Amino acid sequence: MKNSLFNTRNPCGWSRRSLIALTTLALLSGVSCHQPKEVTIAVIPRTSGTSLWEPAHRGAQDAAKAISARIYWNSPTREDDVAGQIALIEHVVAEGDQGLVLAPNQSLALITPVQRALAHGLPIVIISSPMPIPAGGGLSYILNDEEAGARIAAQRLALLLHGRGSIALLGINPDVAGIMKRAHSFESYLAKNYPAIHIVERHTGSFNIPHEQEIAEETLAAHPDLDAIVALMWSSARGAMSTIDNNPGKLKAKVIAFDAEDVQFNSPSLDSAVIQDTRQMGNLAVQLIHDRLSGRPTPSMITLQPVLVTRANANSAEVRHMTTMDWRPGWSWSHTP
Amino acid sequence: MSGSLRRRRGLVIAVAACVLLALAGAGLYVYLRNPERGLPYHDAFAQGRADEWQAFGGTWEVANGSMRNDSDERGAKLLTGSGHWRNYLIEADLMLLSAGGDAGLIIRSSDEEEGVDAYSGYYAGLRSLDNSLVLGRAGHGWMEAAVKLASAHGRVKALEWYHLKLLAYGCQIVASATVSPDAPPTSATVIDPHCIPSGRAGLRSYVSGGVWRNVVIRAATQKDVLAMTGRPEFSGNMAGQTASDERSGTLGFNAPVPRGSAYTFHSSSNTQPISSLRLASFGGPATATIRGSVILTAPMLFVQDSTGGISVPEPISPSLKVGDQVEVTGQVHTTDFTTSLEHATVHARWEGTPMPAVTVSASQAATGAFDATFIEVEGRLRKKEQGPNNTLIFDFDAGPQSFRAIMNRGRGDYLFATLKPNSLLRLRGVCVVNPVYTHNLTPFVLLLRSPEDVDVLAKPPWFNASHLIAIGFGLLTLALVANYFYTRVEHWRLRAVLEERERLAHEMHDTLAQSFAGIGFQLEAIRNGVPEEFPITHQQLNLATDLVRHSHEEARRSIATLRPESLESADLLNALELCAQRMVEGGSVKISTVSYGDARGLPLRITDTLYRIGQEAIANAVRHAHPSTIQISLRYARNLVTMMISDDGTGFIPNGNLPGFGIRGMRKRAAGISAKFEIAGAPGTGTQVRVDVSLPPRITFLSWPQFLWKYLGSYQTHDQSTR
Repeated sequence: MKNSLFNTRNPCGWSRRSLIALTTLALLSGVSCHQPKEVTIAVIPRTSGTSLWEPAHRGAQDAAKAISARIYWNSPTREDDVAGQIALIEHVVAEGDQGLVLAPNQSLALITPVQRALAHGLPIVIISSPMPIPAGGGLSYILNDEEAGARIAAQRLALLLHGRGSIALLGINPDVAGIMKRAHSFESYLAKNYPAIHIVERHTGSFNIPHEQEIAEETLAAHPDLDAIVALMWSSARGAMSTIDNNPGKLKAKVIAFDAEDVQFNSPSLDSAVIQDTRQMGNLAVQLIHDRLSGRPTPSMITLQPVLVTRANANSAEVRHMTTMDWRPGWSWSHTP
Repeated sequence: MSGSLRRRRGLVIAVAACVLLALAGAGLYVYLRNPERGLPYHDAFAQGRADEWQAFGGTWEVANGSMRNDSDERGAKLLTGSGHWRNYLIEADLMLLSAGGDAGLIIRSSDEEEGVDAYSGYYAGLRSLDNSLVLGRAGHGWMEAAVKLASAHGRVKALEWYHLKLLAYGCQIVASATVSPDAPPTSATVIDPHCIPSGRAGLRSYVSGGVWRNVVIRAATQKDVLAMTGRPEFSGNMAGQTASDERSGTLGFNAPVPRGSAYTFHSSSNTQPISSLRLASFGGPATATIRGSVILTAPMLFVQDSTGGISVPEPISPSLKVGDQVEVTGQVHTTDFTTSLEHATVHARWEGTPMPAVTVSASQAATGAFDATFIEVEGRLRKKEQGPNNTLIFDFDAGPQSFRAIMNRGRGDYLFATLKPNSLLRLRGVCVVNPVYTHNLTPFVLLLRSPEDVDVLAKPPWFNASHLIAIGFGLLTLALVANYFYTRVEHWRLRAVLEERERLAHEMHDTLAQSFAGIGFQLEAIRNGVPEEFPITHQQLNLATDLVRHSHEEARRSIATLRPESLESADLLNALELCAQRMVEGGSVKISTVSYGDARGLPLRITDTLYRIGQEAIANAVRHAHPSTIQISLRYARNLVTMMISDDGTGFIPNGNLPGFGIRGMRKRAAGISAKFEIAGAPGTGTQVRVDVSLPPRITFLSWPQFLWKYLGSYQTHDQSTR
């Protein structure tokens, strides 16, 4: 009986050995106790460090702060690095994060990684551009309203050309479903509403800027009197701006860009840019995942309106809010003596 | 008492061992977490060594006594040191390879991954775009404080050496840069109240690439803070102030401005796709201009556009980095499989992010369609060797194809040492089909940029020859050990049986035999007291006395068979003789013994069995054969022992119909040790009982190969004879 942990005859009269054993057990259990695991939501944009995607970081951080979650933010260094994005998705699944917000670099190649992540029970919100996986079962979409963006660009173009002229449509990227929808919507709207504006050249696009500049040069060489270039990708816009600005006085074309990473209008040929509200996308996506984790019903699809940025409103509060690269809400690192 | 003492001593030893173990663990824990472990550190780039550095992106290589990242990648990092380093300083000479970005040093880094700002830590660098010393904090995001360098201090330019220091002491993060040897250093300081407390040190570049040398890391003190800032310790708190002081650079972290590069790309108008150049020189020497991204700078310049790649040998070129967007004008030179631009002039246009690799199979690469293209391919390592000109050569098999990969030494040495043949690897490099590299031994060669271009997908399969031999040795050792223990256990068991028998013999001797003797004595006394006129009673008493005597003799014989009398193999003959002497005690039977060969120790099991058989044979001879002589012989051959018990008694015809339990028992005992048992004899000529028992070979570590060889030989002979 002396050796037993509990003295049943005298429950209060525990032996010293029993007390030591219990204390040790308590200490060990105290040491091994873990804090409840913080909810971590991974946000993987197409790339990072740009004014197109850093606002998504800020939006996600804002939402995460409200729900006391942690954001894991990382991306490939290039927008066309599909393998890098797949590796990051696999990393997120392996780490056991509680949710994933993804802006896909490629519509088809990411199907399998996304489905595998869903099979692991990871709630996923696809932002910006859709994938050919139906929503539901843990998958939601928060997309840029490409039809609205195309309409905005067409209206701006019509204003710029007074409803008449010839243009080139560059940067049609079949890899990104959102850009393809953007292209179709733009052409349809233009044909229906501004039939006097003709698209004389169409070119596919990539994230390779020199290649995009080659295409712009070929296009402008074939059509030196082109009135405008609508660039559905920022790399195409950069190639076009570079070509036009390298030939001052010879080319009159203006550029209307999409997904601008720099709205400081350093290029005289840049007329305007249609930018998607990635900040709101990041914010809503994290909220959606939180709602799903909390068992609340969530919408399967949300579309957000893009905004036209021109020289007139580039420094407006609304645009600055949308394009901020200050990704930390309530930033508190900065102190000076 | 002694047991208690022993237990107490054991407890003390166990407690002492636990305490020592705990102390050793605590010591190791303290050592590993020591914030100054490994400090001070000085790089060994001059000796070509950099094994202690870990890369995250980029193309880090040791070259000319420096660490070089020839990549325009955004946020390529190279880390070293302990995650527990706290208050320390890192300094280095630094050169930017282009004017499009920045390069610098990292301090207190953790959670590193590949990615633009994918780490937690502080970074200080020199940025040429806005001629500033930038000090920032990364946490999978980026915030920065930038100090514009005074024009009097000079401008940050590419390809010039600067000296940069970055210090972390408490929550004070101080950076200082010496841009011009004639000007005082420019410093920037941030007090970060929620500072990152510890982490590794490293090198980093953003877009520009860079070269680092004389990297020194050492523990920092408040004096170092004063020396770098030139003023006493900071006090007070002015949160929110973001104004910059160009000299002292007392700042706060702010959101960065977009880190894009210049938007214009001045170019020639007559550029051609690289893939079209294969047709360009058919009409004679042709000059062409191509535009593309640099994918490799050494041992030769390679440029790739969206249609393919091309080599540019010995160009007139500025310093280039992987990812640079260039225009190349030169003479098109086409051979059977490759196209190159010779006597070329290269114009760097801007820095870009390096192109991702195109994933192809080795068979696709072997067609030559991906010549001079940055590809990713898988292969199984067949061989590795050191090549000429400080190169490392790896030979691969991939299905029906073979190819070779070439890497520079330096950081590649560690990879070379650790990669094992038969590993399945994924490699990224520039595919070259030029015979200058392939020597027509393989269809293509992969030129690797850095060790980070190699991923180990699977290590060699475990069932290789050396592993199988090791497993064989292990199993053999296990079998020997098991055999040893089995023998020992069997020995102990037999000894226990013998001891029990001896105990029974003693019991029988002390009880049964003594009782028989007592009964016989009493019967004798009764008979002596009974008058002679009771003949029937005398007859009954005589019968009872005979029965008692017979039972007494049987008991004595049983006792004799149960008492082996220190039965050891060397005394087997003596034991049998003693046993026989007991059985014939008081009679006229003569016992003779003889031994041939070198008498030696036998396994206890065999000794015991031979003794029992011999005992039974002697008993049978005494009981049934009425011999005048019993001879016991033992013959020791090399691997055989023969025991023979022969007598000159009445003899009998040994056939299978013999009644009784004795012969069956002997035969069964002999079968138990795989011995050959024979009985020979005929009426009037006596009986011979012969037992031949093979001795097991004594297998030792030295003799087992010989035994195995003989076994296999005998097996083969048996197999051939069977056929």
